[in-house]
Amino acid sequence: MSNHPPKITATHVNVWYGAKKAIDDVSIDIDQDSVTALIGPSGCGKSTFLRTLNRMNDTVANARVQGDIRLDGEDIYSPDMDVVQLRARVGMVFQKPNPFPKSIYENVAYGPRIHGLASSRSELEGIVQTSLKRAGLWEEVKDRLSDSGTALSGGQQQRLCIARAIAVDPEVILMDEPCSALDPIATAKIEELIHALKGRYAIAIVTHNMQQAARVSQRTAFFHLGQLVEYGATTEIFTNPREERTRDYITGRYG
Amino acid sequence: MSNAAPFSTRRPTDWATPAMQSRVRRRYRAERRFRLLGLAAVTLSGAFLLFLLGSMLLRGAGGFLETRVAMPIDFARASLDVDPRRLQGRAADLALAGAGLEGAVDDAAVAAFGPDLGGRILSDGAWLRVREAIKDDPSVLSRRVVMSLPVASPIDVAAKGPGSVEAEAVVASLRSGDLLSTGLNREFLLSADSTDPTRAGIWGALKGSILTMLVTLLLAFPIGLLAALYLEEYAPKNRWTDLIEVSINNLAAVPSIIFGLLGLALFLGTFGLPRSAPLVGGLTLALLTMPVIVIASRNAIKAVPPSIRDAALGVGASPIQVVFHHVLPLALPGILTGTIIGMARALGETAPLLMIGMRAFIAAPPDGITDPATVLPVQVFLWSDEVGRGFVEKTSAAIVVLLVFLLAMNALAIHLRNRFETRW
Repeated sequence: MSNHPPKITATHVNVWYGAKKAIDDVSIDIDQDSVTALIGPSGCGKSTFLRTLNRMNDTVANARVQGDIRLDGEDIYSPDMDVVQLRARVGMVFQKPNPFPKSIYENVAYGPRIHGLASSRSELEGIVQTSLKRAGLWEEVKDRLSDSGTALSGGQQQRLCIARAIAVDPEVILMDEPCSALDPIATAKIEELIHALKGRYAIAIVTHNMQQAARVSQRTAFFHLGQLVEYGATTEIFTNPREERTRDYITGRYG
Repeated sequence: MSNAAPFSTRRPTDWATPAMQSRVRRRYRAERRFRLLGLAAVTLSGAFLLFLLGSMLLRGAGGFLETRVAMPIDFARASLDVDPRRLQGRAADLALAGAGLEGAVDDAAVAAFGPDLGGRILSDGAWLRVREAIKDDPSVLSRRVVMSLPVASPIDVAAKGPGSVEAEAVVASLRSGDLLSTGLNREFLLSADSTDPTRAGIWGALKGSILTMLVTLLLAFPIGLLAALYLEEYAPKNRWTDLIEVSINNLAAVPSIIFGLLGLALFLGTFGLPRSAPLVGGLTLALLTMPVIVIASRNAIKAVPPSIRDAALGVGASPIQVVFHHVLPLALPGILTGTIIGMARALGETAPLLMIGMRAFIAAPPDGITDPATVLPVQVFLWSDEVGRGFVEKTSAAIVVLLVFLLAMNALAIHLRNRFETRW
């Protein structure tokens, strides 16, 4: 697919919640230049896997991760890895839009501010403006940046969350079912946005919606019961799956 | 589900049958009954509150007032040996006391009302008013003036309501001469306890309460908040933290007098801190208040949606940044509510403070947190125990002051809470 090494390499990853194994020996490479979709039925572990990539599982009390996950060759689970920096480099967009109960401006400015990315007020304003433009929200909110972020519509909130994530200039953006709470029009806007962001950021997206995976991604991983069943080019997976379980799922036999 | 009738054999529901209609009517009746019960409960508690406030205000109003008698004093004839040049600044009090002003006032009372009544008509503190008047305008020393001076307690009681037969007669005769008047008892708001009801004031207890509450707040709020934050955000969930949680919940239910005994043994016994001091009172009440603040704060912190934490962590906020930028601002209204409840309880506590000696008779307002002091509820308790009739209205007046203090404290806290309230 690409001629340079993958952005993230995950090898033999296992995740337990207490005694229950949620991820069983999964190995995946995430490419710099493409969108990688993780699909599979509910409870198959795709979200869990996504959250291991920026160590958001650390916040779950009894979760345990085993295996090797490297970002540009750096082991993200090594004791030398600063989790705060990791999460700045690997941004995340969540299932339910979760803007801070603050102004639109503050929502976007928060990340750059805590990481000290802007040295002046005008530079920060510039970052906020660029991020909102890149998230396709600028035209809709430019006159009301001081309004509360929670007053926006669901789709706008989700784009605000994407703007917030790209404001810290991450290398990877993880999206955990970003459209599952949105209507079709808002979903279309987010999908357009994913197209526009592709190439600049490595993107991994978890989705329930197979059409969406087919539309936005270049590579698709199919998870089932915590295992990676099949991983390859999206066109291959959807037109000519190797595994029977994949074929059953994408033809709607279960899931 | 296997023995359920198949849908095809079920008859369509007839919503118009009498049985169905009566079921609907029953449902509406139940609804009405429930609403009436709720309304009755609210009305009843409102009535109780009104009754309490009304009766306290009616009885207590007299405590803020004093009866005065108009009395001529001829300073020119009284043998006061005062050098007018010494009537400046702080030396004036000494100069006037040394000159025998108290005796001169007594003589003037005897001259005005006769030897029998003149000896007992004035309050013990009446001469102090004369002293203030002279300091305000030293020229009166060369004239004969008529002054309104506070009367002694039995006459004050009789003037405000039913008193002793003897005092009633005195009041009647003074009234016929139009000598009595009523005014605001400023001394009640400005001085400390006294054995003479006309001179007893609430300021000592009020200041003691303020100092004690400050100590309590400064200790219980930060410690309680930090404990709650640590337990919610950082502590691992294991058997030890479960044990701590149970202990804190139990602590919040321990009878307050036991905290008093603890304070007595620990702060007075072991650490040797001064008895009756707001410092010790505040420490003891902080022990009592802290569990309430911890529990309320933990609940408020728990109620912050996890999605907000995720969002902050997702852009790379460190755990402490998550807490201080997001969790705490969102939890603050709830934390303040808990603090109000805890502080209101502490303000009304009497029993633990009795144990650490705050029931002593203290005739001067405390100057600091280590001076002997009493607090409002203890002052209410002490005055309600007094024999003198004049203390009855003082007790009610002290309760009014206590309630006003409580309302002011709550109003401030509610104002703060509303300022921090975030809508989402």
